[in-house]
Amino acid sequence: MSKKSDFLFNKQSSRFFLPWICALMVFIATLVLAGGIATHNSLNLWQKSVAESLTLQIPTYDNGGNPRGELVYRDIENALMLLRTTPGVLGAIVLNDDQMQELMTPWLGSDAAVSELPLPKLIDVSVDTNHPPLLEQLKADLANSVPDAVLDSHRIWLGDLVRFANALLTLIGLILILLFVTVAITVVYTTNASLSIQEYVLSLVHMLGAQDLYITNRYAWHNFKVALGGSFVGFVLALPVMFGISMFLKSVSGQILQSSLHPIQWTYLLLIPVGVALLAFITTFKTVWKFLRRFL
Amino acid sequence: MPNNENLSPFIAEFNGVSLRYNKGPEILKDINFSLSPGSFHFMTGESGAGKTSLLSLLYLHLEPTKGRVRLLGQAMDTMSRSTRAQIRRQIGVVFQDYHLLNHLNAFDNVALPLRLAGEKESEIKKHVTELLAWVGLEKQMKSYPEELSGGEQQRIAIARAVIHKPTLLLADEPTGNVDDAMAKRLMYLFLELNKLGTTVVVATHNVGLVKNFHFPQLHLADGHLKIIPASDTYTDMANKLFKREEK
Repeated sequence: MSKKSDFLFNKQSSRFFLPWICALMVFIATLVLAGGIATHNSLNLWQKSVAESLTLQIPTYDNGGNPRGELVYRDIENALMLLRTTPGVLGAIVLNDDQMQELMTPWLGSDAAVSELPLPKLIDVSVDTNHPPLLEQLKADLANSVPDAVLDSHRIWLGDLVRFANALLTLIGLILILLFVTVAITVVYTTNASLSIQEYVLSLVHMLGAQDLYITNRYAWHNFKVALGGSFVGFVLALPVMFGISMFLKSVSGQILQSSLHPIQWTYLLLIPVGVALLAFITTFKTVWKFLRRFL
Repeated sequence: MPNNENLSPFIAEFNGVSLRYNKGPEILKDINFSLSPGSFHFMTGESGAGKTSLLSLLYLHLEPTKGRVRLLGQAMDTMSRSTRAQIRRQIGVVFQDYHLLNHLNAFDNVALPLRLAGEKESEIKKHVTELLAWVGLEKQMKSYPEELSGGEQQRIAIARAVIHKPTLLLADEPTGNVDDAMAKRLMYLFLELNKLGTTVVVATHNVGLVKNFHFPQLHLADGHLKIIPASDTYTDMANKLFKREEK
């Protein structure tokens, strides 16, 4: 005997088409959302890093291209003295050659002789994020005691980066909306196709006294299950791809890009297959409800 | 049961009912009749006289273009969709072309009305098995309609129509594809249901059937309905039939 709930479903086109569309959409949506979350995480990391530190550059060559010699060390001394007495500054460290080498590796490679390049000396300044120093005041004080020093709060390049990242996040949001709209349209299409095939069955069941809600619910739950199955296939397939992309980004960017996700962010990703299945339920419900109105 | 307007003593009441399809000619013209609870009627008339259309009005598949139809005390024109569904569940219909679902086997086709009514599977199994045995199809329970003869399909259609002991049973040529012995057996089934209180309307071309079973006729000709009274009483006729069955 067939299962009690099976009698409405015969030659269901959605059984073959809908799960694969859902799988594909969820696969893409998962990667897109994971990319969005990684971008968001990286943005937070950059903003946090910037908020926590300042960089003070002490030039090692003058404007004529001549080495400044002892003047460099005098400037460093003065700068450190000033920074240690500035409210909101937690500490200041002069980067040594090894640290400079590590800093320049992503751009110049590990073989470059960084110490021989005309690079400025860098002082990494740790900042109290709750009570940060007044930047304008600090700049003015530096202009008096270390006129050649350049204070870099990273805000200019970060501002551009933040704008780019926000634009990227907006784009990701739009792509996700488009993907969900595509799923909704697909569900309407497959449900209508299925209903047309099933019109005879539905008409008979309707004549035998089935309530609209009974038929509609059965269709909606059926498509929910089909969509959920397909969606989880898409989600599972996206995981190794995400892992591969994450590994690749780590290898090329080091800590610059934050490609790993927090546990709560994994739940956001899990909401995609569930959301697609719910969307299939709601869309199917509305489509079938409307279709049944053609019967008296 | 629907709870509004349920004051009519009749199972069905037609007052000045006419029907036409789209802008075509009137198929049914000014039809007036009523069916009392527990009554048994034949519906007769030439092919194309409108028997199937009249039955379609009786099971809420069509709406009249004129006039008023009341079914189980409810006015058709004011029924909600939910009430329509409830009323349909109290009507058993044997369709002329059976209307079986080809993806379901004989058992599941017959079980449909019970499943729609939310019966327990254990009850469904018991009743469906019993009824399929009664119509001689216990061995074909797992067969699909396409594997069965026309007569067997017809018996499944009849079994599906009566499985839930409907208040009103409408049968469109229910014996058209079975031999005389089976036709009599199926009529006996309808009579049994009728004895239990089901109102029965059997549309048929079978003159022999109408002659043998002396029930009033709803006779359709040129779109008009004429009621031909029974020439014998129900009790006399039933007694004759049961005596023949015993022999």
